Formats: sequence, structure tokens, C-alpha cells
Amino acid sequence: MSILEVEHICKSFNRTEVLKDISFSLEKGQALSVIGSSGSGKTTLLRCLNFLETPDQGVIRVNEEVLFDADDPSTRQEAAIRKKRLHFGLVFQSFNLFPQYTALQNVMLARELLASEQPDYKARKKEILEEIHVQAETLLRQMGLENRRDNYPHQLSGGQCQRVAIARALALQPDILCFDEPTSALDPELTGEVLRVIKELADENTTMVIVTHEMAFARDVADHVIFMDDGNIVEQGDPMQVFEQPKEERTRQFLQRYTQG
Amino acid sequence: MGQIMEQMPIVVDALNIGFLQTLKLFFVTLIGAFPLGLVIAFGSMSRFGPLKYFSKCVVWIIRGTPLMIQLLIIYYFPGLVLHKPIWGGGEAGRFLAASFSFVLNYACYFSEIYRGGIQGVPVGQEEAGLVLGMTKSQIFFKITLLQMIKRIVPPMSNEIITLVKDTSLARIIALQEIIWAGQAFMKGSHGISGAIWPLFFTAVYYLVFNGILTLLLGRLERKLDYFR
Amino acid sequence: MMKKLVVFMLTMVMVFSLTACGGSGDQSDSGSDGGSGSGTESDADSGSDASDGSDLEYVKGKGTLVVGITDFEPMDYKGDGDEWIGFDADMAKAFAESLGVEAEFVEIDWDNKIMELDGKTIDCVWNGMTLTDEVTSAMECSNAYCNNAQVVIVPASEADKYQDTDSLSDLSFAVEAGSAGEAAVADLDLEYTPVKAQSDALMEVAAGTSSAAVIDSLMAAAMVGEGTGYADLTYTCGLNDEEYGVGFRKGSDLANALNDFFASAYADGSMMECAETYGVQAAIIEQ
Repeated sequence: MSILEVEHICKSFNRTEVLKDISFSLEKGQALSVIGSSGSGKTTLLRCLNFLETPDQGVIRVNEEVLFDADDPSTRQEAAIRKKRLHFGLVFQSFNLFPQYTALQNVMLARELLASEQPDYKARKKEILEEIHVQAETLLRQMGLENRRDNYPHQLSGGQCQRVAIARALALQPDILCFDEPTSALDPELTGEVLRVIKELADENTTMVIVTHEMAFARDVADHVIFMDDGNIVEQGDPMQVFEQPKEERTRQFLQRYTQG
Repeated sequence: MGQIMEQMPIVVDALNIGFLQTLKLFFVTLIGAFPLGLVIAFGSMSRFGPLKYFSKCVVWIIRGTPLMIQLLIIYYFPGLVLHKPIWGGGEAGRFLAASFSFVLNYACYFSEIYRGGIQGVPVGQEEAGLVLGMTKSQIFFKITLLQMIKRIVPPMSNEIITLVKDTSLARIIALQEIIWAGQAFMKGSHGISGAIWPLFFTAVYYLVFNGILTLLLGRLERKLDYFR
Repeated sequence: MMKKLVVFMLTMVMVFSLTACGGSGDQSDSGSDGGSGSGTESDADSGSDASDGSDLEYVKGKGTLVVGITDFEPMDYKGDGDEWIGFDADMAKAFAESLGVEAEFVEIDWDNKIMELDGKTIDCVWNGMTLTDEVTSAMECSNAYCNNAQVVIVPASEADKYQDTDSLSDLSFAVEAGSAGEAAVADLDLEYTPVKAQSDALMEVAAGTSSAAVIDSLMAAAMVGEGTGYADLTYTCGLNDEEYGVGFRKGSDLANALNDFFASAYADGSMMECAETYGVQAAIIEQ
């Protein structure tokens, strides 16, 4: 059974069509890599999944629940969207950590705010906060950042920041974790530590959608690969097949350019 | 010199009373203009056209005309043209009219600083909050606000120190602030006449008060230095 | 977008001009129908026949006569206490009492006295005001009650050189803008700089930024020479004689009421008694 089903998503900015009829599905525990040149629509696709953009057409389903249907205005209400976002986590290219909070506070903040809306929050406040704290520390340890918990983002390297951002996204236990070119803003020597963490998550069967320019990594970590070009899914399938024996000419050209440069 | 020492207690008494008026106008302006400026800032960033253009128009008029003219218009216009002297002629009325003018004027300047502060916070911060399931108000209060404050403290400090000195403009509608009190001794007041030094001495008050403000605002700036 | 903005601005301009028209319309109405005006001032043109009794009734109605003053010894000043005293202040209190109202003193910016009157933030200007053409055309003035002259102020060390008006041509003057002193130096074609107040004119001379000033003789007597803050200055020749009066809103009937009051106070001796208290008895004009 598919955890995520995307059907016929279209999106235009002004008159430029950025996504043209995108459909795919993702199984629980699988990692999906989305590759393609800049401007092919990969990032917009992720932003649609996270409701940062509203598709013009199409349907998004998670666990068979319709989260978005362009033909059904009731699925566009702001209050409802907020909860639906929680099915997804998003790790940004530029981290977007909150600069005024420490690494630990960055990881805890969203859960604390959500917890404060629970009906039994007042009665169990201490217990709940303790639980959030423990979880955050565990996540940071998992990211190899246990001795960085009290540092502010500007005191951390880019790689460390991105790992904090991953921990922050994981804290809400999303069904699907999305990465938007997670290593593009990093110095080359720092990409390794971030990719290693993502690889570990994949090994633990975290459901993920990864937009990336790291071809070797995409092939290595993904269970499924989508190649996008000019707003279309040109080719998709098993990584070995897409990377080794691409069926489409455009895929071949793209991979050639990447393996050369 | 001996004469000055003799006059000193009387002059200081009168200047203190004037400076109290200066301080009152200063604090009332801050208390009024801080929130009003935020309202105008949100107005001028609104997606609702009429509100946006109205806010921008108000800011344009207020920033485009001298505060001194605004004081004259706000104080005298109701009586001269509408035949309803709403402020009254007494000290309280003059203070009220001056406060109104200053709050409006400074709110417009503050609103532009706020706007710069809010728009200066990267969009990614709001998006990160949204993706983490936060509401718009949680994002504003927990994430954007402090980053905005950090951005606006230096330009705000500038405006606040200018405000201290601008209060002296209120004497155009005969609000008896410290410069008025100092000038009174040139003509004659409290039995002292022809004394020029009290007017120059008012500068000491401004200097000391602005010194204290600079220290406090500098401390606030350093306090926000822990993040970038 | 630009178009919308332009339309909006034009609307604003129209709203403004409409309110302005409405305002002046009111003004001429209250002047022409003359009858039961409710405290609005009359139109300047038809003002002389203030038959509606409006201003006197207006002041009586609110129970206070708001007197616009500046700190000006010996006319209006604060003695040891917090209360305004002086020849003008005491007479104003007595006048208010005769009307059955209370006098309230308000310090004003002298430049704005006409605006203060017309804007009804004060009811009269009673502060050793010289009756110049400018004043009498903009205000309803009482009869003159006190003589004054404009005198030339120079450093005491140079006083000998400037004892008559012919000797003044090489001096650069500082005079209060809009004052009788300015009118006097302008008449004589002398070089001058207008400053904000008579006291500023004195400061100019003391600081050497102007070589001479022209101020009221009453003020000069109180402020320059031995034992004052300007011990190094002195006054020499007088430029023109002039008189003090009290100013009301154009067309106000309060001016006549004050003339009646002055006449009776002069007759019963209380006016001269008051003048002696402040040392101005020599200058008082018979009423």
C-alpha cells in the first residue's frame, strides 16, 4: 500500500508552467530521489507537498487520506492545512534554523508549541516537557551532536546546522521526510557528514523524498528515482535501471553532463 | 561667575520643571508610537489595497512635512477652521495636542523601521515555522519578533535619541519644555533677567539624558548579540 | 496600481478643499445673520458692529477669560510664588472679576498670538502689546492705556557715539520680527536682522553678533544697565513713541467692555494704584 500518492499535480507561476501533470507514489519505508537540472521543478514539487505552494490542479493523498484536492475548496482551509503539514517534514537547502535558539531549543520548539495546545497540557506539563526534552537529546545524539546542544546556529558549521535541521524535522515524527538539496549550501568537505546521516535514516527505513544534485548519493540511498525535466517526470524507476540504462534520451544527456562535470 | 552661582538654584528649579515636561512628552510619545507604528507597519504591508495605500499615504504626508507645521496645524486648525478649539488653551490641552502630534509623527517613522525589520527577516524563517506546524501568530511571537527587534534596535536608538531633542519643537505651541524655561531667563523670569547661560545650560540636560539612553540602548543591543 | 494611487490622492485633495470651503462658509454665515451667534467670532469685514454680543457671552458662558501672555516684567511675570502678577496681570484679574469670570493666564509664543486668538485657545492678548497697524488690523483692540517707546540698545562703551537717529546708519541692528522696533528701523532704512524675540535681540548685542538692538523702553529699563544681566549694555535714543493696548478677536465686544472698565478703574483711582505697585505710573494714559 502506498503511503504517498500524488496525482496530476500542475502548478504555474504567473504564466510559467513549473509542474506539468506530475504523478507518482511512494511506499512506506522507501527513499525516493528526485534528480534533474535546476529549474526542472523539483523544489516546487517538494514545496507543494509541504503546502508552501498550492497546486493549481491535482490530488495529494497520504495513507489514503486526501490532504489536497484542487477541486475541493474545503481542503485549502488554512487551519486544516496546518495539521496536514505535520504529515511531512522538510529540510531546507539553507537550513533555516532559528538563530535565537540553541540547537536543542530548535529541535524542541515546535513540539512544545504543539503540546501546549493539548487539552491535558496544564495537568501534565512537567511530564510532557521532560518527554520532549529527552526526545530532542536523543535525536541530537543520533546526529552526532550531543556536545553541541547548547550552541547557537552561528556557532555551528554548515554541516552541523543541517544535522540540527534534520533532528528538528524528525522531532515531529513526520510520515514522510523531505530534503530540498540538503548539501547544496555546504562546503564540499562538509557534505559527507550530512549524507551519512541521511543514509542512516534510509537504512532505518525512514520514508523520504530527497531532491539532490549528488548523483552517486541518489543512486546509493534511493529505492526509487525520478528524473524531472522542464516540469515533467521524464523517467522513473529503480536506481540501477535509471542510472545505468536510462530509457530516455534526455535522462542520458543529463547524466552524462553530471558524470563529466 | 559668582552671579551664576547665585542664580543657579533658581534656574535649576525652573529648568527641572521644564525638563519634566520634556520627559513627559518623550515617554508619552514612545508609549504611543511603539504600538501605533506597528499598526501602521502592518497596514502598509497589507494585501488589502485601500488599507495599504491609506497607510502609505499617511506615512508620506507625515514624513513629508515638518513636525513643526504638524504641531501648528494640529493645535490651531480645529479652532481656526472648524471653530471648535478641541484642545483648549490651558497647559493640559497644549500637552495633549503636542503628544498627539508627536505620537503620530514618530509612529510613522517607527512604522518604516518596523517594516524594514519585518521584511529583513528571511522568508525561510516563516517557512520553517509553517512546515513545523506553527500558527502565524506563533511564528510572529516565537520566531520573527525577536529577530525583528534585533534588526530594529540600532535604527530605533537613532530615532529615540532624535526624539529627545525634537521635543523642543513643541514650544511652537507654547508647551513649556526645558528650552522654553531656559529662554525665559533671557527676557526675565523668577526675578532673573538678561541671563543667557540658562539657555545654553539646557544642553547639559539633553546630553546627560541622551548619555543614559545611549548606555541603556547599547546594553540592549549587546544583550541581543548572542545570536546572529 | 499607479492609477489607483493618483485617484486616491485626488480624492484626498478634494476632501481637504471641501472641508476648507465648509469652514469659511460657516464663518461668513455667523457674520451675516448676526443674531444669536453661539460664540463664533464674526467675519472680519462685518466685525465692527459686534451686535450679537457673542464673545462676551461666550466668555461668561465658560466662566474663564483666558489671557495670552509672555513672561514680561513688569507687566506679566511670576513673583516669588506661582501666581502671575504685574500691572497687566493684576488689571486682567480685576477685569475678569468685573465680568464675573475667572482669569486664566496662558503663556503663548508671541509669533502665534493672532492664531491663538482666532483659534480660541485664548480670549485676549494682554501683555504690553504695542498698538501697531498690524495689530489693530488683525485684532479688536482696547483703547491705549500705557505709553512706551522703542529705544536703541548699544554696548555702554559706545553709547556716546549714538545719541541721535542720524548717527545710527553704520550699526547693524537686531530686532524682534514683527515688532514695533522692526517697523521703526525699517522706516529709517537701517540694516537689520529680524530675530525671534526682544530678548534674542539683546543677546545678539551682548554676543557681538549685532552691533545694536531696538526694544521696548519698559523692557529696556528692566533688563539692561547696572545691576541687570546685561550690565555692559545701555539704551540711548528713542525711535518713536507708541502705546500699549489689549487685543481681542476681531469684532469682539469684549474690547468695549474693557474700555468701560478702564474708564471706571481710572476714575476710582484703582488703576493708578495698581500702576504704582509696579512702578509704571508715569506711563499710564488717562482714560
